[in-house]
Amino acid sequence: MKKISTLIITLILLTSCGDDDLFNSDRKNVNIRFTNRIASEEVNLNSATYQNFAEEDFSISELKYIISNIEFVKANGDTYSYPKNESFFLINQEDDGSKTITLKNIPIENFQTLRFGIGVDQSKYPLNGVLNFIPTAEENQMLWSWSAGYIFFKMEGNYTLEGGNSNESFLFHIGSHGTSLDNYKVVELSSEDALLNLYENNLIRIEADVLSVFNAAHEIRINDKPDIQIDPENAPKVAENVSQLFSLISE
Amino acid sequence: MKVFVVIFISIVCLACSSEDNSYIEISDNKTLDFPQPDFFPTPVYDLDENPPTEKGFELGKKLFYDGRLSSTGVISCGFCHIQEFSFTHHTHEVSHGVNGALGNRNAQPLMNLAYLNEFSWDGAAPHLDAFSIIPITAEVEMNESVSNVLNKLKQDDEYLALFATAFDDGEVNPQNMFRALSQFMVMMVSANTKYDKVLAGNAVYNESEAAGQALFDTKCSSCHQGVLFTDQSYRNNGLAADDRYNDVGRKRVTGLEDDKYKFKVPSLRNIAVSLPYMHDGRFKTLKEVLDHYDEGVVNTPNLDPLMQQGDELGITLTETEKEQLIAFLNTLTDDNFLLDPRFSEF
Repeated sequence: MKKISTLIITLILLTSCGDDDLFNSDRKNVNIRFTNRIASEEVNLNSATYQNFAEEDFSISELKYIISNIEFVKANGDTYSYPKNESFFLINQEDDGSKTITLKNIPIENFQTLRFGIGVDQSKYPLNGVLNFIPTAEENQMLWSWSAGYIFFKMEGNYTLEGGNSNESFLFHIGSHGTSLDNYKVVELSSEDALLNLYENNLIRIEADVLSVFNAAHEIRINDKPDIQIDPENAPKVAENVSQLFSLISE
Repeated sequence: MKVFVVIFISIVCLACSSEDNSYIEISDNKTLDFPQPDFFPTPVYDLDENPPTEKGFELGKKLFYDGRLSSTGVISCGFCHIQEFSFTHHTHEVSHGVNGALGNRNAQPLMNLAYLNEFSWDGAAPHLDAFSIIPITAEVEMNESVSNVLNKLKQDDEYLALFATAFDDGEVNPQNMFRALSQFMVMMVSANTKYDKVLAGNAVYNESEAAGQALFDTKCSSCHQGVLFTDQSYRNNGLAADDRYNDVGRKRVTGLEDDKYKFKVPSLRNIAVSLPYMHDGRFKTLKEVLDHYDEGVVNTPNLDPLMQQGDELGITLTETEKEQLIAFLNTLTDDNFLLDPRFSEF
């Protein structure tokens, strides 16, 4: 009888405290390193000239995005969610340190899928620690002060008009539009090759193929709209493209 | 055996809910009773998530009246939101910020904020806790950064003590600062007017007020709906566009052409004292407002269908009807709220 009640109570404890208790394994700190690439090279701000699918020549002066709501999922579906309050990170191409994020006390398991958000989830907006991300966002000009919201993805630079030599500037500032348009996207990366097996790895490498910002799912020609901010037609397209930039790499 | 189970259940409860209970356990920081009027809707603001407490309210009030929230150290929230005028910037068409900078919108009244789902004239802030980012960081308002404000607060022992008692983690951080401001602001419930007394059967309208109410119900209440006197929608009420500001209204937030020139329908509570009127404060008196609806409506893009009856623009009103409507609107003033010492600076 005692054993049964202990078992029942254990079950209650397990179900009542959330996914954290699915994992009794040891824990360790895990780093995720983001590398923003064009072709095989890491993005070189300002000095390099690139060409997109539409044969537009451009350079990038600023490249930043917000990563949030990180989750590790096992093959059987068991999910470890990193504490929401600490789950907001800013990746800034200009700042090397920002491109490696450290997650503390992750259960050591053989995970198969890594899930994260680009931007800030609207359902929790702006509670659960979201406001505490303000100083970081402010410092990196990722806060839309007039709308009390975050810029999820920011890319700025110059481009050359076809056949011309004049340099025109372009900028993409993508975020949600109040409560009316949600541009938050979830990225899911899976690996069969044990890249997310934390018994073997302390470092997870993620590559962002920055050229795909222009054509991953939707074709975006810079010259069609060099300034995409509060734009109910183009901002969701860029957001969709951005959500498809990422892949796990092994090197 | 039963005892055994009870003990275990208690352990289970303790194990998982310590975070939720700790608000109540702070003995020197009492939770305040939210003054929910009987006939008001359920608050939109999540009072369980951020329950107003004695110390949180005190901290919010101190922040509200502190000029250090601005870059020059002199423009506080209370500078543009003056209590006697329902927390508006009385007689100022548009708000004034640091170094005499002029904004492009009229400071909105602060009251019954717990019942609103979006904030600012265009709904740019989706939550009250995030609203204050706008005035703090806007160049033409307080022109400061949230990080800087926090750095200033951390230098002040009084603030350190207040944050420590008002919040579980006691930290001087943005979430706690904005939650404290919200605690102060959600307690600003205004529901003690002649209108409310009539509604409760404790007062009666005179002839002119009663006629005004009847007119209001037929001609104004589709937008200025219910006890909050707003349906919280965004509409173009036919104001001529002002080139000085080129304010596109709700379109700024959504990017939609269909939202151009639309602004939030404001509540009309305390309307008699919250002059001037409209998003840019262009009208100084209620008479001017009613004259606008009667004969001033301009057919700009997205003009609200309610402003177009057949070939006629606007809402036809006789001079007598305007007087009656103003008599009714004057019954929406809540003197107890406007003079309530809990909210006053000194």
